[in-house]
Order: sequence, then structure tokens, then C-alpha cells
Amino acid sequence: MEFPDFFQFHLPTRIVFGKGLSADFSAELAELKVTRAFLVTEKFLHTLGIPERVMTALQAAGVAVAGCFDEVVPNSEVALCERGAELARKAGADCVVAVGGGSSIDTAKAIALLLSEGGRLLDYQGAQTLTRPLKPMVAIPTTAGTGSEVTMVAVINDPESESKISLVDRFLTPALAVLDPELTLTLPKRITAATGMDALTHAVEAYVDIESSPFSDALAAQAIRLVSKLLLAAVTEGGDVEVRSGMQIASTLAGVAFNHSMVGVVHGMAHALGGMCHVVHGEANAMMLPFGMEYNLDARERKFAEVARFMGIDTRGLSERDAALAGIDHVRQLNQKLHELAGLPTALSQVGVPRDKLASVAGLAMTDGSMFYNPREVVEDEVLGMLERAH
Amino acid sequence: MGFFRDEEHLYRCLGGLFEKVRRDPAIGPKLAAAGLVIRFLYEEPDGQITIDVKNPPDSSDTFFTTFYGKSDLEPDVLMTMKADIGHRFWLGKINLVAALTRRQIVAKGPIPKILKLLPAIQPTYAMYPEILKELGEDKILL
Ligand SMILES: [Fe+2]
Repeated sequence: MEFPDFFQFHLPTRIVFGKGLSADFSAELAELKVTRAFLVTEKFLHTLGIPERVMTALQAAGVAVAGCFDEVVPNSEVALCERGAELARKAGADCVVAVGGGSSIDTAKAIALLLSEGGRLLDYQGAQTLTRPLKPMVAIPTTAGTGSEVTMVAVINDPESESKISLVDRFLTPALAVLDPELTLTLPKRITAATGMDALTHAVEAYVDIESSPFSDALAAQAIRLVSKLLLAAVTEGGDVEVRSGMQIASTLAGVAFNHSMVGVVHGMAHALGGMCHVVHGEANAMMLPFGMEYNLDARERKFAEVARFMGIDTRGLSERDAALAGIDHVRQLNQKLHELAGLPTALSQVGVPRDKLASVAGLAMTDGSMFYNPREVVEDEVLGMLERAH
Repeated sequence: MGFFRDEEHLYRCLGGLFEKVRRDPAIGPKLAAAGLVIRFLYEEPDGQITIDVKNPPDSSDTFFTTFYGKSDLEPDVLMTMKADIGHRFWLGKINLVAALTRRQIVAKGPIPKILKLLPAIQPTYAMYPEILKELGEDKILL
């Protein structure tokens, strides 16, 4: 057994789970002592009536809806966050409620920050620069994958510097996460598959990277078990609320895990593929995960063997290395099944990534913060090699 | 009582290291490649050291420029910490990621760019104690 020299485990988010909970979480709202909520959400969710459901719940709990900002797009930009914060300020909001996927929650974090502290978003780039709590934030995820409802990180696009800025601060962590699996019942197959693979990637990377601890390991392990058991069913039987519950829980468990130990080379590549070629985050992770696992195999053989066991593989009689390899093979098979069932892409060429762009993607990936936490030093040539093999 | 008596003592010791590093043909160019203005803001005793690896160096035998005390340069990265933490950092006794987590060091600016510099500054951890010995400052060695 080897324990880290130092680790911290801190979970400021109150996590509540329940079928239908997004329609009534008044008990939790009462404790936040807020009166005017500013909703941050995505336009298409109106067609499912999800923001409306949350607004009704807020009003029933005596919290006025100060505004509903539904302009969030995948990979929100600085200007959008600053405009949202301005609207929230004018509306006199004293709390921010995110309803949506990872981008909505990250945008809400940026809005809560600017609403509470003022200034420009770029002023807060860094790590733990805030010194006091922000106006409380509530996160209600409508996908099962991002984990952002329990993390201290917000990633926002900055077109001016052609990069993503990262805000990392414990005070950015939402005060309340409302997990309602009913919100994910109608999630299309391909999004279910992609977000589920994002959750699996969070868990696997959190489990092996340099900042992992016994606490993050325990949560990552359970997330891997749940995703491995339930993801295919979530795609084929999307209306099954038990299956959706398990995926929602797995996603949040993985979120808490990677909020502590961070992610690694797979996310580094996925962020670059998203930034330069607009590859959907979960799909990029799914395609790169087996390659990233192979890349790190030598550095974490025992842990990858454990990952294989969490995935439900019978590794009796196998060496640690063979067990680890069986786990990697399992991920490839899972991707193949998700391709057949949900149309998840299995190669970068299928999502319009031009081969001649791979070198610049590799270059951009090298500047990603995730690379620092990877268990093995990341080398640009080898990143390019992985991207080429995944093409 | 911390390691440094006053601001001047802080500049003498940490400055001793930075002056050597900016002339070091192995480390200097690697830092210069980052293209950043980095300011270390120290507390107890108060002081600030600015490292400019963005603009051309002030003399031909160095790879970047250093400023001790207040400077008008706008920093890309601002690192705030107690002077004792700074001292222990350059002795290689501080895990930067843990220190950021614990708010022993507050970093403002593009964090990935700072983390990328860590491998390049690895050799300085061995240089600093040697420099302290040369300066006759052995007593503040850990
Ligand atoms: Fe992710």
C-alpha cells in the first residue's frame, strides 16, 4: 500500500437525489435562504418543459424567478457569461440555478462569480483566487456525464486568446446539486452514450492520475462499476428510470472523484479536439480513452488491473498486465457496441477531423492543464501518434 | 520568526538564485520559452520579485530580466505567498499542486502555463542551497 504525501477531501456541495426531485426541492432551497433565483439554461430544454418545471418548483418554494437566461451553447464564451452576469445583476438575483448539461453549469459558475464579485472574467483566471463564498449556486444536471454539479472548475472559451480559460476555485463549487434521473429519461441515444463515456473517462483518469487519493479512488471505483453495468442499458432502455438513476449517480460520483484528483491525457486530447475541430466532448473522450489507457499502462499496471475488475471482468488467472489489457479491450468493445446501438463515432475521421490538422491538435493538447496530472509524462510525438491511430 | 529578516534579506537570498538562473544556459532558455511576466508577491516580510521572460533580456549574458521591489510591468501570472513558503518552494520542499489546493500559494493567471514550467525549474532546487552556502546563509537551510 502506498499513500500520498498529502491529500485533501472537501465536498461543499449538498447532493440530493430523487426521482422527480427537480419539481420540488423546497426543503433544500429553504436552507439556502435565497429569494431571487437567476436561471441559466439551454433553449432546447424548453421543448421538454424542464426549465419551466424548475421555475414552478422555485416559485412554489417562495423563491422568485429573477430571470431565465437560456442562451447557453456548448462551450460558452466569456462574452456570454459576462452578459448573463449583467442581466442577473440588473434583475437583483441572489442565487444562480443551472439547468442543463456541463456548459450550462460552467456558465452558471462564471455568472455567479461575476454577480458576486464584479469585474471581468479574465481577472479570475487562476487557482483559488477567491477569498469568500459567492452567491449560492444550484446545479440541476439534465445529462449524466459532466459531473460539473460537484466540481470547482469552470472552463470557458476565450475567442480573443483562442483558448479556453480555466477557473479553479473551491468557492465555484455549487452549494446544492439536485439529481433527478427523470430529467434524463428522454436524452437521445447518442448523447446518452457520449455523456456516459465522459463519466467513465472521468472515473478512469481520476483513478490513475498523480493526485488520486484513497477517497477519490473509492468514488471512482464505484462510478466505473455503475457505468460498466448500466451504460448499454441506458442507451437501449432509456425510459428505465432505475437505469437512468444509476447513470446519474455514477456521473456525480465520478465528478467528485475527478474534482479531487483531476483528469489526464485523454481529457487533454479531448479538450484540444473540441477546441479546434468541434468534436463533442464525450465522443472525443470515448475515442481516445483506450489509447490513453495504453499510454499509461506501464505507469499504473496494478491500478488498470483493478479498473478491469471494477468493469466486471473475471481476471482470475491473469497477470496484472493481462488483466489491465483486458480492461482496455473491454472499453474498445463498449465503444463498438455504442457505435452499433447509438451511432457513437469510433474514429476521428467519422466526425470530420482532417488528418492534416492532427499535428496542431497535438500541439494544443500539450498546453492543456490536464496533462500535468497524467501518471506518465506526456510527450507531443506520442500524443500525435495516439490521434493518428484514432483517426 | 521566519527565514528572512527583512525585504533586503529576502532579495539577497532568492535574488541570489534568480540571478544565477537567468544566466544558466540550461534553464534560462526553457523559462524564456514560456513568454510570461511572472510576479512573486511575498508577505512576512513583504516584497516582490518580477521575472520578465516575455521581453528581451536587459543584458546579452542573460536569458531574462529580474526586478526586485515594485515594478510597473503588468504580470501575466501573479503568485502570492508567505516569504517562508517561497523559500521552501525553491528548496524543493513544496509540492506546488498541494500548495495551490491549500491556498499556501495563490496563483492568478493561466495555471497550465505555470505547471508546464515545473520540469524546467527542477534543477534549481539543488542550486538554491549551494547559493545560500556561498552567501554564508547556511543557517536558513532546512
Ligand atoms: Fe469530461
